[in-house]
Parts: sequence; structure tokens; C-alpha cells
Amino acid sequence: MAGVLNTYFRNIFDTAATVFEGMAVTCSHFVRKPTTIQYPDRTDVRVQDTLPYRYRGILEVDLDICTGCLACERACPIDCIVIDAKKDKATRQMMLNRFDIDIAKCMYCGLCSEPCPTGSIHHTPEFEGADYSLESMLRRFVKEPVAAYKPKKVEDDPKILPVLERGMRYLDEFANPDEEEKGAEA
Amino acid sequence: MSVAGFEVEVDRGSGLETEEMTLNMGPQHPSTHGVLRFVVKADGEVMRRAVPDIGYLHRSIEKISEKVGYHGFMPYTDRVDYVAAMFCNQGWGMVTEKLAGIEVPKRGEYCRVIAAELNRISSHLLAVGTMILDIGAITPFFHAFREREKINDLLEELCGARLTYNYMRVGGVAWDLPPGYEEKVLAFLNQLEPMLDEHYDLVSENTLFRGRAASVATISAETAISYNLVGPNLRASGVRYDVRRDEPYSVYPELEFDVPVGTGMAGEVGDSFDRYYLRVQEIRESVKILRQCFQQIPDGPVVAKVPRKLKPPAGDAQIRVESARGDMSWYAVSDGSEFPYRCKVRTGSFAAMSIIEEISQGLMLADLVTVIASLDIVAPEVDR
Repeated sequence: MAGVLNTYFRNIFDTAATVFEGMAVTCSHFVRKPTTIQYPDRTDVRVQDTLPYRYRGILEVDLDICTGCLACERACPIDCIVIDAKKDKATRQMMLNRFDIDIAKCMYCGLCSEPCPTGSIHHTPEFEGADYSLESMLRRFVKEPVAAYKPKKVEDDPKILPVLERGMRYLDEFANPDEEEKGAEA
Repeated sequence: MSVAGFEVEVDRGSGLETEEMTLNMGPQHPSTHGVLRFVVKADGEVMRRAVPDIGYLHRSIEKISEKVGYHGFMPYTDRVDYVAAMFCNQGWGMVTEKLAGIEVPKRGEYCRVIAAELNRISSHLLAVGTMILDIGAITPFFHAFREREKINDLLEELCGARLTYNYMRVGGVAWDLPPGYEEKVLAFLNQLEPMLDEHYDLVSENTLFRGRAASVATISAETAISYNLVGPNLRASGVRYDVRRDEPYSVYPELEFDVPVGTGMAGEVGDSFDRYYLRVQEIRESVKILRQCFQQIPDGPVVAKVPRKLKPPAGDAQIRVESARGDMSWYAVSDGSEFPYRCKVRTGSFAAMSIIEEISQGLMLADLVTVIASLDIVAPEVDR
């Protein structure tokens, strides 16, 4: 009987001692800096602005520099990109009639932005993509048919230049393995 | 039988005996990580057996590989085990490279190991944190997730995503380490180690936690081997086997690290506490590996030249990767076209799942969550 009582009281003592030991660690956090942030409305800067450059958020297309080469459409493993690019016989120019990205399907893998020759299709840091209907998540970038971008040796259009620079900077992040083959295929 | 240190006599044959009842645990249950279901046959509080019912998270990932090609399958491998996606990336990369005979540049291999070991720390932190959470303590869980959040930030900077990384490519990795990455990772590792000491004081020494985990669901080395347990679960039973050491791949032969095994420090060798504590030890080993990686990483390209339309010669290949949940084996068959003919993944959680039926016999009902958590089962990895 004495043994059982002994165990009983020792258990109580051990439990109390171990709780105090743990509480010492917990209480030390009262004087440490908090690590939580009050998303979404009580942060100093928007969370989107604090994200790293490589962050893969919702896809965006700069139609000004899209060459209509269909490399992204081919690279996409779930076919969430649909492009309709045709050569206009009269003006002999590549025309973009349709450029849709179904954001509801997209899995943000980044395989489409990798082969893009100008960095036109790219991920933005935007991640708040919740919506009430699937239809509104289908992004149509081409409102009316536009001419595709033709790469020049030296870009001189002041309107396109900053966009192209942004695109090339985006592409520089990738460890481009097959520069030449990409040129050969296009 | 013994309950909390006291001998309890179960009364039988006096007209008050209980009858066996069937309970469902899951498919949605707060302490099963993911959707998994157990059919529990219980006699009062004591389980006769718990039969796992799998298949709720089957997504045909292996079949998908036959439709999307070698490059396009890489983001899908993230979804095999979303807690440790880097290893699945690496597995698919390695098996395709073996099929096509591609050699990864040295720097690429180091980038892979850095990413994978960071991911191993984050996965083990999740395993340890949620195990404690399931047992009933919430504070250490927040501490573990605070550290995991920092790894998520680091990996986000490296590859742009926090969970489904898609970092590796066939032939290397997609992005080189960003500038200043080494300092950031080393700063993180420097503050992680004191945190682990603090964690030891808070949890591993805690009598209540030891009471719940020590000598619960002990797996002997023979049982572990016969059920094909892999990874930390196998090593906790005292079997010193690690794919990184025994069948080295990537640059692991150039790195020095120990393979910890269970010692039975709180109870028996191979109990739930050993499985828990082994993961804590492995975090320390990963820290060691990461430090060496940053010392040894050479300059150069990070990815080999691989054609966009990859057509490996007909044949098959099989590789093994030491994932956070153990030996993950990848098998792929090529028929010479640009799509794999067949792909097969064998994961550690599947073996861990099948042993539950054996070790749950005679345990208390409340110990089932300890067993699931200590085996570190990630439900999507079981079904794929």
C-alpha cells in the first residue's frame, strides 16, 4: 500500500515539476519579439510587396512583347493556357486572336514562364485569387486581335523598352539550360 | 494490464464483460494528418485492432506521368508528398536522368542537397510539432511551426513557392542560389540549434510527454524489417540503415554525417518516443550537412543541357532517395517516346500505414493518435 501511495505522490510531484520547467520556457516568450503579423490589413507594407522576386503568384501576360510562339502553351502540363495565333495573309503579320489563362486550373508551377523568349508571361507576387465563380477566373488577355511582337536586334520603341527590360530581367533568374536549342526551335 | 503505472485488473466472466464495438476514426479527424480512416475494433478503451482504410487521397499521379511527359511531370511530383516535395522532385529528376543518361553538374547537385536538407528539417519539424499537438500540448507546436515558417521563407526565396516547390528540373535545378542565400541560411541554422535545445527542455524532458510516448507501440527490429519500414521509423527500431549512407546518391558521399538510431532513452528501443526523438536528432544532422554544403559548393552551371522534348532510349530505371519519410523509390519505364510508359513510386508512409494494424493491438484508444503521429504518416503519400 505504501508503494502505491508513494507512486501516486511521486507522479503528482513529477507532473508539477515538469509543468513548471515547461512554463519557464513558455514564459520567457513574454519578453521576446513577437513573430506573427496581422494579415491582411494591419501590416506596414502590403504582403505582396515583401515577397521575394521569384515568388510564383498569379500569371500575367505582357501582350506588348508576346511573340505568339506558343512555347508556354506547349510547356503547360495541364493546358490551362489557350492561345490562338494566326498569320494575317494581307499584312503578313502574326496576329494574336486569343490568349486565355484559366487561373482556376493553374498550379503555379512556373514551367510556362521558363521557355518564354521575351519574359512576356510571368508570375506576379499577387496571390489573393479567391473568387465566387469559376468563369471569372478565366483571364482573357486579348480583348481584340493584336499584332504579335517581333523581336528586333535593338529595341527602340520607348513604350516597349521598359516592358522588355522587365521581361528579360525576369528571364535572367532562370538557370537557362538550352539557349541555342530554344532559338533553333522557334 | 498496466495503466499509467498502476496494475489494473480487467474483470471477466462475472456477467459485466464488455462487448467488442466497431468505431470509425476518420476520414475527417483532427488528428489524422490528411484524409485517412481507421476501422477500430475496441473493447472499451482498449483496441483489439485498428485497420487502416486507404484510398481517400488517390489522385492517379503515376498515371498522369504517362500523359504529360518528363518535364511536365515535375510539378505533379510535388503533390506526391506535399510536406517534403523536394525529395519527390529529386526522385523524378534522378530517375529520368538515369533513363536518359544525363549528368547533373556538381553545383546543381549541391543545390539539390541544400534544398532537400532544408526540406527535411521542415518536414521533421512538422512531424515533431504535430505529434506533440496530437498528444495534447499546443505550445511546442507553435515553436516548431515558427521555425518551419522561416524555412518556408527561405525556400520561397529559392524557388518561388512555399510548399509545391517544383525547384528541380531534369538535369539539375531551375534556379541558382539567390545572392546572399548562404548568409541567410547560416543565420537561420545558427538560431535553430538553440531552439532545438529549448525544445528539448520543453518537450523531450517533459514527464507528461514521456508518459504518453515512452514504451507505447514498440516496434522491434525484426517486425520493422518484416513490415518493410523505412527511414526514421526503421532507424528508431535500432536498424542503422540510411539510403544516403548505404546506397549513396548525389553528393552525399562527399558529406560527413551520422546516422542516428533509436536508443530507448525513455523506455524501450523502437517505441513512439524513440521515433519522435530520432527526428529531432536528424534535424541536427541535416544542419551539419547544410553547413558542409555551403563550404564545399563549387561554382559552375546548375543544370545540364536537356532538350525540351526529352526522348530517353527505351528501357527502365529505378532509383532510391532518402526522403524525410524514408526510402522513396522511383521506377520509370521508357518506350522511347516523349512520354514515360510507366512510372511507379514506392513511399515510406505506405509501409508505416500497414504496420499500424499489427502494433495497435492492445493499445489504448487514445494511443492510436500517438502511433499515427509517431510514424509520421502523410496521407497523400500513402495513396498518391
